[in-house]
Amino acid sequence: MPPEESPSPQNQHCFQRRGFSYDRAIKYFFASNAGLTIVILLLIIVFLLKEGLGFFPGYRRELEIYRIAGLEFVDISRRNLTAHEQLSSVLNRAYFAEINGQCARELKRTREASAVFNSFSDQTSATRDLIVNNQNSGLDPNSEMLAALRKNHAIQKEKALTSLPATPHLTAAEREQLLASIRTRDATATDDPPLVTTLAQQYAAAQQQCAKPLAELRTVIDSFEAAGADLSTLVTEMTDAVTSTKEALQNADLLEQNRKSLLAAAANAKDPTERRKLLADAHASLAEKPDIEGPMRALMRRQPDCSATHTALRHACADILARLPPSLSQSDANRLLRAANKATPLLLDSLGQAPQQITQWRHDKPVPLSDAIRSFLTGKDWVTGGAWQDFYGILPLLIGSLMISFVALCLAIPAGVGAAIYINQFASPTEQSVVKPVIEFIAAIPSVVLGFIGILIFGTVLRDLSQLDALAWVPGFPIEERLNMFTAGCLLALMSIPTIFSLAEDALNNVPSAYAEASDALGASRIQTSFRVIIPAAFSGILAAVLLGLGRVIGETMVVLLVAGNRIKIPDFSAGLGSFFQPSHTLTGIIAQELGEVPLGSVHYRALFVVGILLFGIVLGINVTAHKFVSRTPN
Amino acid sequence: MVTDLSDNPAAPMATAIHIRDLCFAYHTKPALHDVTLDIPTRQITAFIGPSGCGKSTLLRCFNRINDRIPGAHLTAGSIHIHGIEINRPDIDLQELRRRVGMVFQKYNPFKKSIYENVVFSPRLGGIRKRAALDELAETALRSAALWDEVKDRLHTSALALSGGQQQRLCIARAIANQPDILLMDEPCAALDPTATLKIEELLHQLKKHYTIVIVTHNMAQATRCADLTAFMYLGKLIESGPTLQIFTTPNNPQTLAYISGSFG
Ligand SMILES: Nc1ncnc2c1ncn2[C@@H]1O[C@H](COP(=O)(O)OP(=O)(O)OP(=O)(O)O)[C@@H](O)[C@H]1O
Ligand SMILES: [Mg+2]
Repeated sequence: MPPEESPSPQNQHCFQRRGFSYDRAIKYFFASNAGLTIVILLLIIVFLLKEGLGFFPGYRRELEIYRIAGLEFVDISRRNLTAHEQLSSVLNRAYFAEINGQCARELKRTREASAVFNSFSDQTSATRDLIVNNQNSGLDPNSEMLAALRKNHAIQKEKALTSLPATPHLTAAEREQLLASIRTRDATATDDPPLVTTLAQQYAAAQQQCAKPLAELRTVIDSFEAAGADLSTLVTEMTDAVTSTKEALQNADLLEQNRKSLLAAAANAKDPTERRKLLADAHASLAEKPDIEGPMRALMRRQPDCSATHTALRHACADILARLPPSLSQSDANRLLRAANKATPLLLDSLGQAPQQITQWRHDKPVPLSDAIRSFLTGKDWVTGGAWQDFYGILPLLIGSLMISFVALCLAIPAGVGAAIYINQFASPTEQSVVKPVIEFIAAIPSVVLGFIGILIFGTVLRDLSQLDALAWVPGFPIEERLNMFTAGCLLALMSIPTIFSLAEDALNNVPSAYAEASDALGASRIQTSFRVIIPAAFSGILAAVLLGLGRVIGETMVVLLVAGNRIKIPDFSAGLGSFFQPSHTLTGIIAQELGEVPLGSVHYRALFVVGILLFGIVLGINVTAHKFVSRTPN
Repeated sequence: MVTDLSDNPAAPMATAIHIRDLCFAYHTKPALHDVTLDIPTRQITAFIGPSGCGKSTLLRCFNRINDRIPGAHLTAGSIHIHGIEINRPDIDLQELRRRVGMVFQKYNPFKKSIYENVVFSPRLGGIRKRAALDELAETALRSAALWDEVKDRLHTSALALSGGQQQRLCIARAIANQPDILLMDEPCAALDPTATLKIEELLHQLKKHYTIVIVTHNMAQATRCADLTAFMYLGKLIESGPTLQIFTTPNNPQTLAYISGSFG
């Protein structure tokens, strides 16, 4: 071996001193990667906490302003006013449902006739507009171009006439008459065909006819509506007063913040002229303390008036609502009437308590930090960006997330675990080689695409299905909203099935074959071996699979954002199982939807961070529990 | 203690397992060649031989647990148990395995409580009554000489027992099925000498009620326990007979070589 090929002792020594070797370099490379992920995770947590924890003091201040500006006081009356308005809307809907139910025939006839005419107009409007516009712009009425347009229009007209909607409630003669009037219609005519007009008139007449025996109900509803007028005026007046106080307080807060940051900058500034300038700016930004005592005294002077209005309204409502008929003839109307009857005692109660609340309310009661935390954790309203007052109550979002996850797991556990058991225990090798990749392939579908399918196909099909009379017995059917928690849950189930399937299958695979052998040797059948030995032995692993599936479901954003309906409201649980068919919003969805639009550093922005922390905590908890279970599987 | 029954023609032995010209293969690879052997009832028969000679394969033919292995199949010959050919297609495998219990080399109790392990097979048999199950469990555990050690912890996990206890639990689990024949594939291989001794004592007790076939690598164990010994080599049954005779005056030079330790 030539000497230059083997490194001299001198070189080797240098090499060693620098401590460099490929082995070590590779080791450090991977170690630094691992370290980096840990550091990034820590940074994320620190960032989340830093941004998020500022929320509670900020929210506390908002709630404080809410109180000292008097918005809280006005809200006592506002709530009652809203309840009153909702009740009158229900009564009105009952009234019109009753009338429309009674003249359902006329309603259907006029609707069908208009539908025919509208469909015709829609299909021919493009060619018709061309003619009208050209005529209006002074084209020679006998020109060739106009003739061509007319011809076009005639063709379109013929085509439209063959594809008009059915009219089961019109006689054949009537339809013929309608079609004839449409066919002979001039392109420039603007009036409706005679039959459409006649039917509309007939419908109006029938309505009037039906309304006659309901005159009593109408007066009850009218007087009920009128009874709220006083409270309404009062609320409007007070609202104006308190919102201006609130604005003043908020502006003062802003100026104060500005001043503080200027002062901080001045303290750091090196250049003396610069510092002087900053100090002057800070001084200019010194807010004059907004006057809250004056408006508050004015507001408090309304207290007796306010109480009296509530008491009066309560008596009036009790009297008026007692005159409601016990039942109505149409089932729709009756359902609404029952809803109104259920809401009545609640309204009366609330009105009865109002005077006491009004007199006991104090604007100077302190707002501790715990109030902000409580309002966040147990608040039933998530209201943001409103003119009145923002509330950050997590409950509607949390309930939405949980209900959707519940639906998803109810579907995914049987499907995922069942498939895993079948594939692992009973399927032939060919079945295994087909089913396994197919299920795992589901995981490759991007969630946006899945959301798409959810909206366009699944939601629509489900709603159409729910309208079948044969399925009317299913709770919650017919579904009102195409996008709802159930639809979202179904899609999330689909998304979590691969997770649950693969992990559950692994868990079953990990059961030592000695178990199956022992069970076989004891004379157990195939099914007995599976269900009495293998599955119980894999149980904790299967549970872990389910939990990790749950983590996936709770953390999923895109599908719920697209499909859950995004209505921030606690579902109406009186619908029983049907409440799963209501839309809702979720913890993940709200972050995705609102984070892009909130001003940086605002209370709203921080609230979203706290939601993120909560979500992080939930998913982390689930995963930690799951890993506890995984480590319990044998071998 | 060795009972040499060949010296006692007054007590003719009934045959529990009757093997004729048995050939067995894994896929195309033969593992047993023309094995012919009678295994007497209520005796302990030991299979000895160097590793890979087919002892386990032969043993596992008796309850057809080899059926679990894809590609394993009988190529010729027959096995009769209680006069019935067990390789017939109309054999109820579950019933066969209930009659022919098995204990494996590596103890393998289920991840359940001690009690649940023992009553596993009675439950499969459809016994639901708690009292009946309790009684069966106690009998089986007593027969396996385990009762006194575990009676206070019947409902704790079986996996918390010591290795020897777990192996005895497996024996109890097999006994609870009330089999006629017990197959044991190196039951003491994973145990220390004390636990081994306990199992050997147990075998003497069990012999009164069961036909026992045991595979062992331990010559001393064979001489201590077995009434009959069969020596196998390269898939063939070389020699079989009363234990004393095999170990003192073997007819075949290969047997002599093996027991004297020149190979294996
Ligand atoms: N599952 C299997 N698939 C293929 N060949 C096997 C299988 N099990 C055993 N064999 C082969 O059959 C032959 C006999 O094996 P067997 O396990 O019966 O030997 P053994 O006598 O029990 O050995 P040991 O004393 O080591 O347990 C061996 O050559 C082995 O390679
Ligand atoms: Mg073996």
